[in-house]
Amino acid sequence: SSTAASSTVGGGGSSEISGVKKTSKRPKYSRFTQQELPACKPILTPRWVILTFLVAGVVFIPLGVICLFASQGVVEIVDRYDTDCIPTSSRNNMVAYIQGEGDKICKRTITVTKAMKHPVYVYYQLENFYQNHRRYVKSRNDAQLRSPKEEHDVKTCAPEDNVGGEPIVPCGLVAWSLFNDTYSFSRNSQQLLVNKKGISWKSDRENKFGKNVFPKNFQKGAPIGGGTLNISKPLSEQEDLIVWMRTAALPTFRKLYGKIETDLHAGDTITVLLQNNYNTYSFNGQKKLVLSTTSWLGGRNDFLGIAYLTVGSICLFLAVTFAVLYLVKPRQLGDPSYLSWNRSAGGLQ
Amino acid sequence: MVRSGSFSVDSSATHQRTPSRTVTLGHIQPQAPTYRTVYCNDRESNQPVRFKGNSISTTKYNVFTFLPKGLFEQFRRIANIYFLGISCLSMTPISPVSPITNVAPLSMVLLVSLIKEAFEDWKRFQNDMSINNSTVEILQDQQWVSIPWRKLQVGDIVKIKKDGFFPADILFMSSTNSDGICYVETANLDGETNLKIRKALERTWDYLVPEKAYEFKGEIQCEQPNNSLYTFTGNLVVQKQTLPLSPDQLLLRGCSLRNTEYIVGAVVFTGHETKVMMNAMNAPSKRSTLEKKLDKLIITIFCVLVTMCLIGAIGCSIVTDREDKYLGLHNSDWEYRNGLMIGFFTFFTLVTLFSSIIPISLYVSIEMIKFIQSTQFINRDLNMYHAETNTPASARTSNLNEELGQVEYIFSDKTGTLTRNLMEFFKCSIGGVSYGCGVTEIEKGIAQRHGLKVQEEQRSTGAIREKGFNFDDPRLMRGAWRNEPNPDLCKELFRCLAICHTVLPEGDESPEKIVYQAASPDEAALVTAAKNFGFFFYRRTPTMVYVRESHVEKMGKIQDVAYEILNVLEFNSTRKRQSVVCRFPDGRLVLYCKGADNVIFERLANGMDDVRKVTREHLEHFGSSGLRTLCLAYKDLNPETYDSWNEKFIQAKSALRDREKKLDEVAELIEKDLILIGSTAIEDKLQEGVPTCIETLSRAGIKIWVLTGDKMETAINIAYACNLINNEMKQFVISSETDAIREAEERGDQVEIARVIKEEVKRELKKSLEEAQHSLHTVAGPKLSLVIDGKCLMYALDPSLRVMLLSLSLNCTSVVCCRVSPLQKAQVTSLVRKGAQKITLSIGDGANDVSMIQAAHVGIGISGMEGMQAVMASDFAIAQFRFLTDLLLVHGRWSYLRICKVVMYFFYKNLTFTLTQFWFTFRTGFSGQRFYDDWFQSLFNVVFTALPVIVLGLFEKDVSASLSKRYPELYREGIRNSFFKWRVVAVWATSAVYQSLVCYLFVTTSSFGAVNSSGKVFGLWDVSTMVFTCLVIAVNVRILLMSNSITRWHYITVGGSILAWLVFAFVYCGIMTPHDRNENVYFVIYVLMSTFYFYFTLLLVPIVSLLGDFIFQGVERWFFPYDYQIVQEIHRHESDASKADQLEVENELTPQEARSYAISQLPRELSKHTGFAFDSPGYESFFASQLGIYAPQKAWDVARRASMRSRPKVPKK
Repeated sequence: SSTAASSTVGGGGSSEISGVKKTSKRPKYSRFTQQELPACKPILTPRWVILTFLVAGVVFIPLGVICLFASQGVVEIVDRYDTDCIPTSSRNNMVAYIQGEGDKICKRTITVTKAMKHPVYVYYQLENFYQNHRRYVKSRNDAQLRSPKEEHDVKTCAPEDNVGGEPIVPCGLVAWSLFNDTYSFSRNSQQLLVNKKGISWKSDRENKFGKNVFPKNFQKGAPIGGGTLNISKPLSEQEDLIVWMRTAALPTFRKLYGKIETDLHAGDTITVLLQNNYNTYSFNGQKKLVLSTTSWLGGRNDFLGIAYLTVGSICLFLAVTFAVLYLVKPRQLGDPSYLSWNRSAGGLQ
Repeated sequence: MVRSGSFSVDSSATHQRTPSRTVTLGHIQPQAPTYRTVYCNDRESNQPVRFKGNSISTTKYNVFTFLPKGLFEQFRRIANIYFLGISCLSMTPISPVSPITNVAPLSMVLLVSLIKEAFEDWKRFQNDMSINNSTVEILQDQQWVSIPWRKLQVGDIVKIKKDGFFPADILFMSSTNSDGICYVETANLDGETNLKIRKALERTWDYLVPEKAYEFKGEIQCEQPNNSLYTFTGNLVVQKQTLPLSPDQLLLRGCSLRNTEYIVGAVVFTGHETKVMMNAMNAPSKRSTLEKKLDKLIITIFCVLVTMCLIGAIGCSIVTDREDKYLGLHNSDWEYRNGLMIGFFTFFTLVTLFSSIIPISLYVSIEMIKFIQSTQFINRDLNMYHAETNTPASARTSNLNEELGQVEYIFSDKTGTLTRNLMEFFKCSIGGVSYGCGVTEIEKGIAQRHGLKVQEEQRSTGAIREKGFNFDDPRLMRGAWRNEPNPDLCKELFRCLAICHTVLPEGDESPEKIVYQAASPDEAALVTAAKNFGFFFYRRTPTMVYVRESHVEKMGKIQDVAYEILNVLEFNSTRKRQSVVCRFPDGRLVLYCKGADNVIFERLANGMDDVRKVTREHLEHFGSSGLRTLCLAYKDLNPETYDSWNEKFIQAKSALRDREKKLDEVAELIEKDLILIGSTAIEDKLQEGVPTCIETLSRAGIKIWVLTGDKMETAINIAYACNLINNEMKQFVISSETDAIREAEERGDQVEIARVIKEEVKRELKKSLEEAQHSLHTVAGPKLSLVIDGKCLMYALDPSLRVMLLSLSLNCTSVVCCRVSPLQKAQVTSLVRKGAQKITLSIGDGANDVSMIQAAHVGIGISGMEGMQAVMASDFAIAQFRFLTDLLLVHGRWSYLRICKVVMYFFYKNLTFTLTQFWFTFRTGFSGQRFYDDWFQSLFNVVFTALPVIVLGLFEKDVSASLSKRYPELYREGIRNSFFKWRVVAVWATSAVYQSLVCYLFVTTSSFGAVNSSGKVFGLWDVSTMVFTCLVIAVNVRILLMSNSITRWHYITVGGSILAWLVFAFVYCGIMTPHDRNENVYFVIYVLMSTFYFYFTLLLVPIVSLLGDFIFQGVERWFFPYDYQIVQEIHRHESDASKADQLEVENELTPQEARSYAISQLPRELSKHTGFAFDSPGYESFFASQLGIYAPQKAWDVARRASMRSRPKVPKK
């Protein structure tokens, strides 16, 4: 028997006894255990590389053109007013001016360079304002905004949590620092109405801010941070607050102020009467007023288009370069002489 | 027997003058000074002593200790401690993330690890239970009653039946065999399959039947439990009579009873106090080298983390301005008091925020991958299943899978590992004619290297095949030799084989049933050969040898011939020959001699130059085929010469001083003017496929060292046979058998001997090293090999010479160490492991390999053959040496590749993820605001990117298994560690930086301003979710890009992960929960998906982020291809043949003639080496003991003792 191999000559057949087992331990064949699952084995051959680049280029360039086209169709007027709206006399001490009493009305004139189809969106743009600061972002309580029952739940809102023991609704730094510059537009002395309805995302308006939650004790304590709220309107209708409270990702951000539901024509002069209330001066923030139309892709932002175009062109370029390289310095696929042990004659060491 | 012989000879060779035969497997434990008293058959009396029960437990935990102990084990891993710390930090207010971010992954990881531990422990528990519940018969009230093992108590009288295992250490009282002996197999203890004999005290022989045994009241006084397997001292007090006990009466747990119907004994040690359990050692847990390098990587990542946090902290302390009204900072805020404080606290804030840079799930993922690799792939590989012994491969640890892919040095035992320890008569040469048409493994190997397909042999019909005989040539069989040119010489050869030996026949005197007991398997093979040639040696008395001869006078005639043995001139290592003087029934006096070729040739009579020349050619041919050769010669003596010589012989034999030397001298007088008969060639049967395997492994850049207890000639012979050494190699031989050393030894001064040997070794080493370096500098110099023996090795391992030995041996492609002790095996292994920092693997099958197996990085035990000791100490167990090819080249290589990729991927993935966070930090005034939602962040690792990487770790294959074996050179990428170098890390890090920048910058830049036609803008959480989505896609698709083999599981997991993210986002963004969170991401995904922007970005960003890697991979493959890539390309059009098909193909047969012809046509150099065979260890002591010369004997002797005892020893005349 073959098991004889395992016993020594002198041993006298001991292992035959132990070797005979009824149950076979032979592993069952399965593709999984034998590691033979059917598989696709892509090899990044030059042909594939070139083809991939080609396809990427061919797909991306038109997409880039489309994006760029959409972006270019958008008319956008930006007017920075933070410094200009401070009277020259107060420019040495802008913070004192902005914190002082009295109307801080400022009149700006904007010329429409290209016709703008309605609706024309009005944005304010803040720069160097860290709405994404850790301390700032967390200083709010969504539960309180949603339901009047939670109004005492202000522990996350420090330092704007209560006034004299009474909870602030809406609490927290975000609400407290509500942007409160206001704009009114007129064209040829004719008032352009700003529609402030529907400037916030519907989901915010309908679910995150309660219909029966009213502001309480808001901006009562010292110091006053920003805008005040109409205490008779529920939070769900305070769209400025809703917009503001969707904190921005970056320290430069735009927020929707309202919509002008009239077409603006090229050459129109728009007069903006603005209340310059918001203090960005203490941290060198900038304030800008933006009028913009939109395309299906949103506002004016060439980035996507340019990115698509650039990447597409790079891909095409690479495709060509690789193709040339492939022709000039071809490497035969699977040339055994490339194997390291064939390259260094003698192989080992 | 031979194996055990080598064991004992080894230890006596190294520890020359230590006669101790104590062999333990672990450390010897100090023995308690007291002794234990066991009252046999009397449970009440034993009660007060409270001996331990017989139940055993090998589990790590129990129900109560599981949680604390298991958790403690988990927190020994530094990464877990780190995450525990981070979790604690995230409970504090300085944390930007909620505790869930860190606690969730940590608990998940711990949970998985604990489940795994529990599962493994459960299996151990079940195993214990099945052992504890196996039954044994004990004596109760005059009858045998079956009880489970665990209920067995010290002092019980037990009955063990044939083939049963001993449940405890038992004092042997009586057996069914007439003279109180029983046969025991100790394979589980020491790996020896030959049977040991135990002998009961005569006083207890009668207590066999229950009625009688019931009367037995004895008292055993013996040593306390200890772990020395081969010692036992004690007394048995029966009826006021004190009888000494020895190991001969002790039956150890773990052994089994053989060839004895049943025995009765008294339990002495139970459960954990048995010798085998006391010897149970916990195999030192080994960590793979890759894992150690991984630690370095983790530390590097940690440094990166600290740097990132420092940058952030410094930035924050500079940027933070208390005038930022909207931050509502007051002096009352303790954390914002001054720049230093801000920096300090921000640092820890950022540590919590960036903690994800250290991949928490890495270890647990790797563990899972390795676990599946070992249990599903290695254990179930059909290519590593050995049908004959019904043994599949078994990975006993899953820690070392990838280590198998980086092995550079293999240390192999010889007997049982490379060879089967099976000697077979294979060829012979008679009077200048070569007989035997078999093809050896080594010849097959040569043929294969020349591209010839070698098939299973087809034997001529009627060829006899039995153990020890694998000879096939119709010219000699069945009396056909009488028609050969030299029938007389044939007859002499057969007679020589049948007479000139010291074999003892056992059993029935029929050719089929007889069993030859020989000191060496060579001898048995030769006698078996004689039997098959028609000279059946069937009986031996001290003076006679009986041979049943057939076909001698005429065909078919059978007659029994009795030869009187007059003298036996023993074999020893200096004589290298053995002679017998015998008298034929007709009075003819003949001396038969067999021995090494050079020794015999020196002593031949003049003339016969032709035969001599041809025989020498044959010897060389045999040698080069890897066969062990012996030369046979005879000489007719005339009575007068003989009588005068015999007187001298008797004188020498009775000499009191220098008897051996004198005997040798006398032998010289008669062993001269011999007539050459021819030579025999014995195949030291290699394990199947060994030469091919070694050849493959060495092509893979692995250097193989053979460490054996055998003598130098044998070792070299095997090295030739295995293809480790060939004639093109330059050999350095450092042997203690030099004249200078022998001279010193004869003088006998220990200090002097040591000095001389050391000098000699040093000189040799120096010389060899110089030559080696010289030949290395010459172009295409010969490959080098080193042969060194144990005695020299002892000195070469001395600290002063170690460096020289190491640098010499590292330059050699193969090294053979012979006559080494188990300890030296381990020393050599550690020399390379520690000295050269190379990855080592040891493979062996016996108890003497245990130390070596444990010393190496990877220990492999040969299973299914002999004992379990090596297997128990090993990390992997395979049935055959040749399975190393599969284990290393396929499983090891793949594991290495996979684990490298998995580690790199984890590193890349977490770095990418954390870097987006880091870039964002720059735009938040370094405040440490988190970019992602808590749940997104915590699930990123454990859900959204968890499975594809595991699939990668399981199914990644660069080239198929068959190609891995066909191009063994691919393995060198593992030895060079090509896939886990800092260069590779740098590439991945670059890729991570690039991708994170693309994801972060592209999304944040493009999302500025209105994002849909109704002019709405995104907030922080919209942007971050957008980035997160891009990341999840990019990171998951990256898996496909880096895979060489994409199965449907890849698609499923990659698609599933992305889908899981979307589904999670849909659900998570769609619900509101009252308290635990701010609804930052409420409805975010729906908002995103309502814009065109989302889709355009989703197309652009992942593609751009993967473009960099794509270009890199394309360029790398094109201009700097890895070897495996070339191989892929070569075989790009081939589809994988299924293993099942391959196995079929291998069994295909083609005509044998074609093969034989093809092989005979091969160019082959004749070997300078004629493998002289006759030197199995244990040989000398065997004869020595017959002569009455003291030679150390094994404590547990072999069956041979029984056969000797059965024949009364009569002094020779």
